[in-house]
Amino acid sequence: MDAWWMCEVPYPHVPKDVLDAADSVRASLPNRWCDPRVAAGLFDEVIDEYLLCDEMGLNIGATEHHAGINSLLGANPMLVSILARQTRKARILSLGTLISLRREPVRVAEEYATADVISRGRLELGFVKSGGTEMASANANPVNNIERYWEAIDLIGKALTHQDGAFSWEGKHFTHRHVNIWPRPWQERFRMWAATGDPHTAAEVGRRGMVHTLVLRGHEGTRRAYAAYRTARAEAGLAPVSTDNFAYSAFVSVGDTDEEGVRVGEKLLWFLNTSLKSAPQYAQLLPGTAPPHIAGQAWRTRPKPQSGGPNLVNAEKGVATAQENALKLMSTTVEQAMAQGIMFAGNPDSVYAQIKKFHDDVGGFGHLTIIGRTGFMTHAESEKNIRLLGTEVLPRLKAIAPMTPTLEQAA
Amino acid sequence: MTETLAPPADRIRVRDVDLEVVRQGTGRTLLFLHGFHPLAPDARFLELLSRRATILAPSHPGFGTSSRPADFETLYDLVHLYRELIDGLGDDKITLVGASFGGWLAAEIAAACSHRLDRLVLIDALGLKLGDRETPDILDIFNTHPDTVRRRSWHDPDHEAPDFDAMSDDALTRHARDWDALSLYGWEPYMYNPRLKRWLGRIALPTLVLWGAADGVVTPDYGRRYAGFIPGARFALVDRAGHHPERERPDALADHILDFLGH
Repeated sequence: MDAWWMCEVPYPHVPKDVLDAADSVRASLPNRWCDPRVAAGLFDEVIDEYLLCDEMGLNIGATEHHAGINSLLGANPMLVSILARQTRKARILSLGTLISLRREPVRVAEEYATADVISRGRLELGFVKSGGTEMASANANPVNNIERYWEAIDLIGKALTHQDGAFSWEGKHFTHRHVNIWPRPWQERFRMWAATGDPHTAAEVGRRGMVHTLVLRGHEGTRRAYAAYRTARAEAGLAPVSTDNFAYSAFVSVGDTDEEGVRVGEKLLWFLNTSLKSAPQYAQLLPGTAPPHIAGQAWRTRPKPQSGGPNLVNAEKGVATAQENALKLMSTTVEQAMAQGIMFAGNPDSVYAQIKKFHDDVGGFGHLTIIGRTGFMTHAESEKNIRLLGTEVLPRLKAIAPMTPTLEQAA
Repeated sequence: MTETLAPPADRIRVRDVDLEVVRQGTGRTLLFLHGFHPLAPDARFLELLSRRATILAPSHPGFGTSSRPADFETLYDLVHLYRELIDGLGDDKITLVGASFGGWLAAEIAAACSHRLDRLVLIDALGLKLGDRETPDILDIFNTHPDTVRRRSWHDPDHEAPDFDAMSDDALTRHARDWDALSLYGWEPYMYNPRLKRWLGRIALPTLVLWGAADGVVTPDYGRRYAGFIPGARFALVDRAGHHPERERPDALADHILDFLGH
């Protein structure tokens, strides 16, 4: 198993009373609350942490989110390019530019090609669907977001691999009549990743043979999404893939002791408890995010009398919106997070054991993408986490070899 | 290629689109194009108009239970769909009435084929960009808090705004389906066609522009300017109505329209 360290570069330094008063901490929170001097310090620390990962043998990944306290990485390829120059060995995963928000996929391909050349072929391409507040902040129509997602992937993929002069693209969402990017990327082929929890998208990820990444989905959601991937491949007559095609993303906090790992790990829950707050128009009332028979229920101001709670049961039926998933996560405690397999925390032995158990429970995965720093976790805590991960946990994870279970075994 | 089913059928097929439709009354045909949501079959506004005309009130593709083919997703598609529907009706000319989003559609259709229409009525119509580039004309109903949208949509929100808690599951499902379709057609540019203003001068038929006096989605001033682009158009306010006078003041609105139609 490979391990990839990631930091979304959150900005937790907004006064709590401001966050409490805001109906959304994304999209609409005025950026006067973001002090660029503080932000510069955060970027310094986080880039140094990435360099430490490189030294410790960890791979690295960078996400993208827009216009909120959860992440200052609105421009993923810029950080990826810096990492491409400053690191030496690590593979660099862009997970990823939010391509359904970008008007020019060919420009994204140019950015990736540049980073790939600078890194001499260490770039991996991940694609994330986006949604929620980012539809407002990017002026992106939420209803056909998924169509733009796949079309942009196709166009970027072709632009990065086509070497025979200009080609034309006249798609449904993107037109570009003369595509011929320079520099040509270092790699002839890119490994592509996709992060999604919904089974429909997972099936397409499977047919394409991309690395399927589940972010904080726990045992059931992860197992179900991996199954959708494998089933779709089998139904399409495609060969089974190894666990190397699967990835899982969770909070990881390693301390010298269990107590330290859990205490520091609790700080990571800021991501769930504070940074997900979204106003209803950016979340459950956003068009196109759930089938109408589910989305309609979100208009109720209180649950149906006989239903006994919010409509979250759908999250377990594989039709949950990301927002429904987020609602479940917002009130999570550290004990719950660990029980659900969205956090691995403790001393190195405990963390390894938790990861291995989760790995075995969900049928295996070849990549752990680590949400290693968020919220008020300090630079020192983050560096200690990285060092312990690199020296104590990574060697044992590396020993978990890929396997190719049959459909029945995987189920 | 319109296939009209015999009354009291509540579906009309136009090519590959299956539309649910409210059809009632007798006499000249009046096509009503709805706004953010279709009117209910028993809506008082439709009933009042049906006393003097044959009302045809389809739900746009993707709204209510009307089908929407996968590649049918622009105003261009809607305009051509309704032009074909009008051509298939067999009437020499019909009266076209559109409210809000449907008012935008009606203006587009009238600019394209006013020879098939005898009268045009626009009610709190969307469709134009009038303010400067940093001043939106139309309240962004998708990116604005629902409480604000509610407050600005109705003269008297507490009495007129929909009570979602009282709705059936089916009604909520319809509501969500409408919402998706509206977003698909109107997300960007948000609820307007930058080219439409130039061509409103082509509308060569008697036109009445009606506006809820308390409309906070698009203001009456926007409505007055809208009317100003249509040669000879009359403008009138509907008192004690917001963006949806066909729901909030159906009697007053119908009176205006029936007067205009010469009844």
